[in-house]
Amino acid sequence: MGSRLRLRGIRHRRGGREVLAVAELDLAAGERLAVLGPNGAGKTTLLRLVAGLEEPAEGSVEIDGVPTVEAGAELRRRIGYATQRAGLLSTSVRRNVELPLRWRGLPKAARTQTALAALERLGVAHLAERRAAALSGGEAQRVSLARALALDPRLLLLDEPAAALDAEARRSFLDDLAALLADRSMTVVHVSHRADEALRLADRVAVLVNGAVRQLAEPSRVLREPADAMVARLVGYENVLPARVDGSGDVLIAGKRCGLRRTEEPGPVAVAAWATGLRLAEAESGALEAMVQLVTAGPGRWEVVLAAGDTTLRAHLPLTEAPPAPGDRRAVHIDQRLARLVSAP
Amino acid sequence: MDAVHEVLARSALVSLSATAIALLLGVPLGTWLALARIRGHRLLATFLNTGMAIPTVVVGLVVALLLWRSGPLGELELIYTLRGMVIAQVLIATPLIAGITMAGLQALPPELPDQLRALGAGRRQLVVRLWLEARVPLLAAAMAGFGHAVSEVGAATIVGGNIHGQTQVMTTSIVEQVGRGEFEEALVYAGVLLALAFAINALLTSVQQRAASWARA
Repeated sequence: MGSRLRLRGIRHRRGGREVLAVAELDLAAGERLAVLGPNGAGKTTLLRLVAGLEEPAEGSVEIDGVPTVEAGAELRRRIGYATQRAGLLSTSVRRNVELPLRWRGLPKAARTQTALAALERLGVAHLAERRAAALSGGEAQRVSLARALALDPRLLLLDEPAAALDAEARRSFLDDLAALLADRSMTVVHVSHRADEALRLADRVAVLVNGAVRQLAEPSRVLREPADAMVARLVGYENVLPARVDGSGDVLIAGKRCGLRRTEEPGPVAVAAWATGLRLAEAESGALEAMVQLVTAGPGRWEVVLAAGDTTLRAHLPLTEAPPAPGDRRAVHIDQRLARLVSAP
Repeated sequence: MDAVHEVLARSALVSLSATAIALLLGVPLGTWLALARIRGHRLLATFLNTGMAIPTVVVGLVVALLLWRSGPLGELELIYTLRGMVIAQVLIATPLIAGITMAGLQALPPELPDQLRALGAGRRQLVVRLWLEARVPLLAAAMAGFGHAVSEVGAATIVGGNIHGQTQVMTTSIVEQVGRGEFEEALVYAGVLLALAFAINALLTSVQQRAASWARA
């Protein structure tokens, strides 16, 4: 059974500067929250407050109704915590996993059995007697996660555990993490600056910018309806383009109609569009026109960078299409199903 | 040779006792300075580092003034005693041990204490675990403390008085022999003192390097 988490009126300062301001955030037992934000947004601070490692300057953090600042080590023993630095001790892998179990008073035989089972689940049981310092980054992160999960925590806090891994190790680690979490009922708070990492593990996503929650919603909703230009960038929209709504409701990018319309009053907006939603055609009068700057082969696609005045656009085209050449001029059509109008930055 | 053995045993007793007490004081002090988030931390660390370089004759002078029969602690009758010499050497070795302990703990990954706390370590469990992680510098602190204590001559002379058969230790004996022009005997004492220092440090180094190779491998 997972823990309930409740944050109220949190304000936290560091060096005289406010680094976090969260008015209200609730997690139901077993819920998985991803906290997505750029570096310095306050993600780790939020996690540290939840873990009881820091006390908020104002407000309260409660786990199962108990304020973290009052509970001390006993409360922290319900929590599993894994960070981007594995933080393993200079002893064997098995002892690293056993140590927090010893702090919880488990007898030796049970500790060893639990530790080995946790290492087995993460696919690193064969490293049990290896010295922690001899592990690769990916192996160390798996051991770190095994150490956190061996505690059978009610609340699992993950602070970018895959951030230091190379692409292959990261993919494999996240696949295993997703499979492990699917089997368990613990509450999870996972912070990351990478949308792909955050969104795949979460029931809800909190987008944190400059210490404040800009959007809190299900992953599909954040993807489809980002609250503003910053959120759109963070969830991965390759194009977040400055635009303007004219008197007739047409949306203009670089002074040209892009096919999107808005019924609200005229003024500046931003167009968030997936690169796969941009279609290139022969230049035609009146259409949004751009010059091809760069064409590269990406994973299963052509990645095309175009310039329309000062605005840079990115299009992903199927490899089955003949790519344009740098210097070509193309009309750019934006698929309305893959684009959103958001408030201007 | 009996005289050498007697003086050697006295040197070992005084310096090992002083080192043991200095470890009991210096390791917790260095740990507190490494982990505490307090105002004036930098100033305290500067005082500690200054203490590491304080001349032993100055320590000897201060301790002698305190223990002098007419001094504030004169009633304890510790001047010209081995216990008085131990007190002086504790004051010499403690800043060194505390300073190296602080540096050793500060050299650990900065996030480690919080990670251990987040995994459920209580205060005592956290500190013990950090000491184990910093075991190589902590053993270096012990060696440095003992080395400083056993080799110092200023405080031992002022506080102990170099009384034959009572407070004479290897260093004060060597100084006395040189003063009398007995260089041959002084060299024998110097060799024996070096052998003592080597034996103690060989033992500690063996433990330290085993710890280091375990951590590295």
